[in-house]
Amino acid sequence: MASNMKIQSSSPSFQGGISSALRSAKQRAMNAVPDMELSGNTNWINKAGEKISSAEQRLILGASALMSQPFIDAHNRNVDEKTRKVSVARTIAKIIAGTATGFAIRKGCIKAIKAMSQPRGANVPKWKSFFTPKDITKTNTDAFMQYRNAMGTVVALLVMMFTNFLIDAPLTKFLTNALIKKQEDAKGGNNG
Amino acid sequence: MANLFSNFKSSLYKNYGENPGKMLVHTGVLGWILSSLAQVSAVVFNDKISPEQKSFLIPQEIADAGINIASFYLITSSFKNVASKLVSTGKLTTKGIKNALSKEDLKKIGKLDFNIGDLKNVPEGYKPFKNGVDVIASTIGSIISCNIVTPILRNQYASKKQKQALERMHNTQLAAPRGISMAQYQKLSSIKYSSGLKV
Repeated sequence: MASNMKIQSSSPSFQGGISSALRSAKQRAMNAVPDMELSGNTNWINKAGEKISSAEQRLILGASALMSQPFIDAHNRNVDEKTRKVSVARTIAKIIAGTATGFAIRKGCIKAIKAMSQPRGANVPKWKSFFTPKDITKTNTDAFMQYRNAMGTVVALLVMMFTNFLIDAPLTKFLTNALIKKQEDAKGGNNG
Repeated sequence: MANLFSNFKSSLYKNYGENPGKMLVHTGVLGWILSSLAQVSAVVFNDKISPEQKSFLIPQEIADAGINIASFYLITSSFKNVASKLVSTGKLTTKGIKNALSKEDLKKIGKLDFNIGDLKNVPEGYKPFKNGVDVIASTIGSIISCNIVTPILRNQYASKKQKQALERMHNTQLAAPRGISMAQYQKLSSIKYSSGLKV
């Protein structure tokens, strides 16, 4: 009986049934969404696609992290007050260090890739087309600019494997200690 | 080797050249994986931590990494995929794109099979609009996952792990790493898991 059920559950008709039910649910969900036609100037949306690379996204993530993560840590009732305060300081330090290095390294790598992905030609040194994919003649297309962002981001992630230890960790430690000292000074001042 | 690099460049161009939103999701996941690898190797190569403690801390680090990666991927890619589907089926569009569609195409708006990008004459402005919506959606998804969902999940996970460590300590007399007291070790462990950010 059990083996029969197993055969039935993996049979094409059973799988087809599930996929048809899923599709029907998706279509119902889609029908529930009202048609949205944006009027007026929608250029800012197009610009977002062109301008927001992983570097800008990292900056946006860092800025919004500063608004939410310390608040979440400050309201973590599962740890004692002192731990909570150190945790908030460490979170702020980690966000500042991570965002600063993450943004700078991504931006720098994307810029470097741009310089090293020029179209091949007789007068172009080999290193300047090191990252140019084959059969590319135009470098001013949207697709090619996005390729540069993608390659720059991949290279940046590899670089950050090292800077994570060399820059982020010591900078986070330094900033955490500075913030804790500031907290303690403020507390001492209030008590005094 | 040169061929491998050439294929890698072509693959990046083909996959992400027309799809920056997908690139942001995939490189974001890669960022989390590399950041987690750094965290795990920091424990693996720390000679102040005993082998017994490593056998407890390494799976803990891996589980923490799993939470970070899974929540980032699930939330960010869901936001991106839903936004992408709304644009490709014409549910979310601009006046210019809608005006460029034929009467037959207008009837198909909102049908799952319909994809404006597959039409013979793709309306001018469709691709930049879709790329823009994809990038905005994946950025909003990243903010929600990295800055709200993951810290809350991580805090809950950290307190659960702290309780387990305390129980284990009472049962087996777990020792702190050399050079620090058990109380300091518990505090550091709690701080470590209650804050985190990808590279």
